[in-house]
Amino acid sequence: MMTKVGEVLLLLLLPAFVPHTDGTRYSLPGKPTEIKCRSPEKETFTCWWKPGSDGGLPTTYALYYRKEGSDVVHECPDYHTAGKNSCFFNKNDTVIWVSYNITVVATNALGKTYSDPVDIDVVYIVKPHPPEKLEVTVMKDQGWPFLRVSWEPPRKADTRSGWITLIYELRVKLEEEESEWENHVAGQQKMFNIFSLRSGGTYLIQVRCKPDHGFWSEWSSTSYVKVPECKTSKKCLFSGKSDEVFSALVVSDFPPTTSNYEDLLVEYLEVYVPEQQELMVDEGKDHDGCLKSIGSASDSDSGRGSCDSDNLLMDKSGAAKEEQQQQNQEGDQIGTETQGPKEAWEKETMLCANEDVVSPDASSKKVKTWPSVFSPVTPYSPSPLDPHNSLEMHKQNCLSDTQFPPGSPSSDHCIKKALQSSYWEVCFNNNQPYPQTDVHQQLQAHSDRNISAINDGNVPSNLLLPTRMTEYVEVQRLNEENKVLLHPIPSGHSREKACSWVGHRDNYSKVKGVNSDNVLLLQRDVVEEESMEMAGAAESCYTSSIAINTPKPTTCSHIALPVQEERVLAVSGYVDTATMFSLDT
Amino acid sequence: FLFHKWNLLCVVTMCRAVPINDLIYRASQQSDKLHALSTMLTQELGSEVFPIDRVHACHTSSLQTPTDKEQALQVSESDLLSLARSLLQAWSDPLVVLSSSTNVLPYSAQSTLSKTIQKMQEHSKDLKDGLDILSSKMGPAAQTITSLPFIETNEIGQDKITKLLSCFRRDSHKIDSFLKVLRCRAANMQPQMC
Repeated sequence: MMTKVGEVLLLLLLPAFVPHTDGTRYSLPGKPTEIKCRSPEKETFTCWWKPGSDGGLPTTYALYYRKEGSDVVHECPDYHTAGKNSCFFNKNDTVIWVSYNITVVATNALGKTYSDPVDIDVVYIVKPHPPEKLEVTVMKDQGWPFLRVSWEPPRKADTRSGWITLIYELRVKLEEEESEWENHVAGQQKMFNIFSLRSGGTYLIQVRCKPDHGFWSEWSSTSYVKVPECKTSKKCLFSGKSDEVFSALVVSDFPPTTSNYEDLLVEYLEVYVPEQQELMVDEGKDHDGCLKSIGSASDSDSGRGSCDSDNLLMDKSGAAKEEQQQQNQEGDQIGTETQGPKEAWEKETMLCANEDVVSPDASSKKVKTWPSVFSPVTPYSPSPLDPHNSLEMHKQNCLSDTQFPPGSPSSDHCIKKALQSSYWEVCFNNNQPYPQTDVHQQLQAHSDRNISAINDGNVPSNLLLPTRMTEYVEVQRLNEENKVLLHPIPSGHSREKACSWVGHRDNYSKVKGVNSDNVLLLQRDVVEEESMEMAGAAESCYTSSIAINTPKPTTCSHIALPVQEERVLAVSGYVDTATMFSLDT
Repeated sequence: FLFHKWNLLCVVTMCRAVPINDLIYRASQQSDKLHALSTMLTQELGSEVFPIDRVHACHTSSLQTPTDKEQALQVSESDLLSLARSLLQAWSDPLVVLSSSTNVLPYSAQSTLSKTIQKMQEHSKDLKDGLDILSSKMGPAAQTITSLPFIETNEIGQDKITKLLSCFRRDSHKIDSFLKVLRCRAANMQPQMC
C-alpha cells in the first residue's frame, strides 16, 4: 500500500523533474545480463549480474529463483554480503545436485525488465579461493640452491573430508624484464621444488588451485625470494646459456677426440650428474669401468651437480640441467585430476621422446648420456611453452608400433620407459650390486600419485632428462680404459636419433630366452658391438639382463635392469627393450 | 606375464592382492574420468544442442542422495558405495541406448557423441568391476543395489538425448563425489590420497 502511494506520488512528481527542452526520455530499465554464479567451496554460492541501463531513473534489482522440480518462487536471501549487484546463498539456502533457475529483474518507475533465466547447479560452478600461506625458502642441496615452495589449501575448501579435491599449479619467474612465467602443475601435493636457479636472481612465485571438476582460482599473492650468489670460484653454471655449455664441454683436459668415426657406434649420451658423482668418465673410480649413473639417497630432484665439484662432467651437466624444474620430493607432476592411470602414464617422461620436449629452438641442446635409458623415469614435464604440443610430439616420435600381446590395451600408446626405480647400468665387466627400490609400489593403480615419494632413496629418481640446455654428445670411442669419450656434435643434429638405446637403432630386441636366474636375455640384432666391447669382454652376444628381482652380474657386457613388474613380451618374441612399462587401464 | 585386474596384480608367477585403499583410489580415478568425459561431452556439443543445466526428472531421481555437505558426510561408507553402485548400474542400459541413437543429432555431433559414449561405457564397466570387488570387502550394506530401471529401449529423439546426457552428467558427478569422500575416509594412513 505504501508502495503504491509512493509510486503514484513519483508518477505525479515526475513531470516536475522532466526538463522541458532537453528531450531526455525515460524508459524501462535495460535487461540485467551476464548472470554468473560461483561457489568457493560447494557449500554456499553467489550470483552476480550486470545491470543494464537504468532508463534514466532510479532502478532497483531483485533476484528470484526456483528450485528444480518446484514451482515456488523465492527471492534472494541476501543482497549485501557479496557486494553490489549480487546475491549470496548461505549454507542453509544452498543445495547441491539440484538445479536453480535464476532470474534477475530490474525495476524503475516505468516498469520491470527481466533478465534471461539461467540454470545452475552448484556443483558445476566451483571456483575456490586461492591457496594460502605460500612459503618459499631457498634450500641447498650439495651446494646447489633450490626453492622449496609450499602452501595450504584455501581455508574454506574442505579437502580433508574429500568434499573437495584440489589440484594446484604454481608459476615462477625471474624478476626482470621480459622474463616469462613458467608454470608447473603440482597435482594434489602442497609442496614443490624448483631447481636450476639463477645465482643471485630474485624470483616471483604464485600458486593457484582448481577443484577436480571446476574452475581455477585466482593466483595467490606473490612471494618473492632471492637466490644467494654462488660462491665458488669455479664455473658455477647456473644460467646455462648455450655457449657456456659448449665451452664447458670443450675443455682442455677433456679426452681428445679421434677421427675414427666409421667404426664407432654413434651414441648419444646424456651426461647427468647426480650428487655423488658416479659418472666416471675421467676418473675411473672404483667401478671397474662401469659407467653408472646412480643418484644419491636424498636426491629426488632434477639435475644438479655440486657447486663445489671439480669434476668437469658435473659442471657440464649442471649447466645442462638448467631448466629442469620438475622433480620434487613428492613428485606428482602429472597430477591432473581427470587422469586415469592410462593418461598419467601417457604423460610420463618417455625416454625416447624426451628430446622432443626440448623446444626446437637453437638454444636448446642436450647432453645425453649413453644409454639414453638412464634418464627417464620422471614424470613428464611439459615444456613451459606448450605442454600439449610437446605431448603430441612425444607420441609421434615415440615407438608406437611395437608389438604387444593382442590383449594389451596400451598397444596404441607410446611405449613408456621405466619409472624411477629402474635405471640402466652399463657394465663392462662384472658389475657391482646396485640399489633397487621396491618396485612393487610402482605398480599401484594410482600411478599419477607421488612417484618420487616411493623412491626410498636408493634409486636415481633424479635421472632426469633436462628439458633444455642439453646437447648431444657423440660417443667417439672407448679408449683402453673403457672410458667413453665424448665429443660434442652440432646442435642441429637430428633429435630422433637420440631415441636410440644402447646401440640400438632399432629398439627391438629379440628375446633369447630366460636364464635360470630369471634373467631375460635379449639378443641384439643390430650389431654394433664395438662400443660394447669393453673390458675385453669377448662375448659376442649382447645380453640385456632384465632381472625380476635382483640383477645378476654376467660376464657379457650387459645392461642390467632392475625389475619392472609390468613387462610385456610381444607375441613375436620381440621385446621392446625400451619398454619398461605398459599400462593397462 | 602381466596381469592386472582389480583385485590382483600379477607379474610372471607372482600375484598379490591389491589393498583396499588402492582399490578405492583407482575407482575414484575411474569415476573422475567418467565424469570428465561427460562434462567434455556437454561442452563440446554446446548449449544449443542441449541446455545442459536444466535437469528435470531423471530415471534415477527416485534414488535419495544427499543434498549438501553435512548430509553427505554423514552417509556411511557402505551406503556411499551402495549409492555409487546403484547409480552406475542404472546407466548401463541408457548408455547403450544413447550409443545407438546418435544419428538423430546433427552430423557434426555424431562422431563426438559416439566416441565419447563408447569411452564412457568402457570406464563404466571397469568401474563397475572395481566397485563390485570393493563392495565384497565392505559388508552387506554395500552390496545393496537399488534398481533404477530405464524404460526406453528404442532409439530416442534429440531432446531425450539431451536430457539423458544432463542426467548422466549429474549422476556421474555423484558417483565421483561419493567415491572421493570414501577414499578420504579410507586414507588415514595415506593423507596424500585426500
